Amino acid sequence: MNAFLIAAIVLAAAIVPLGWVAFRGTAGDGVVAVELAGVLASLALLAAAKGLERQPFASLALVLAVCSFAGSLVFARFLELGARR
Amino acid sequence: MRHAIADAVLAVGILLELGAVVGTVAMRDAYERLHYSGPATLGALAIAVSIWIASGPSTIALQAILLAAFLLVSSPVLAHFTARAIREWSRGDWRAGDDDEGRS
Repeated sequence: MNAFLIAAIVLAAAIVPLGWVAFRGTAGDGVVAVELAGVLASLALLAAAKGLERQPFASLALVLAVCSFAGSLVFARFLELGARR
Repeated sequence: MRHAIADAVLAVGILLELGAVVGTVAMRDAYERLHYSGPATLGALAIAVSIWIASGPSTIALQAILLAAFLLVSSPVLAHFTARAIREWSRGDWRAGDDDEGRS
């Protein structure tokens, strides 16, 4: 097991406390936690791609980063719309 | 030697990411938690640089730098949009005065 695989495991494990924040905190806390979880998941995939020497995983990381950005914008928008009702 | 440098830079990136997670978990409200997206972006840059050092100019290194660049550009936009959304959610209007008590 090389350093990049260990990094991928650590980054993936770091998502767990963010899930706890999203589950226990307010809706605003949840949006912030989900944004950071998206970044961590992308980086975990990137580190796994390097650790396993599988280049397609890196493409997956890029796609996940873009989708995570769009998803976070939608969550934030829902938060705003929820405030107006 | 090259792999030792790559591992050191990777360790810096992981520490920055873990610092961002600890900060997000430990802070009291959503505004304070939001500040920790900054270190996470810098950590992404460090991880991308470590991949570049370890594998040299290659497709995976290029994708890593592209990912870090995207996170560097998108993170401030997302932080601004989220802060505004949280403010509207907690006060009803983002222009509300500072004397209002928020929900978050």
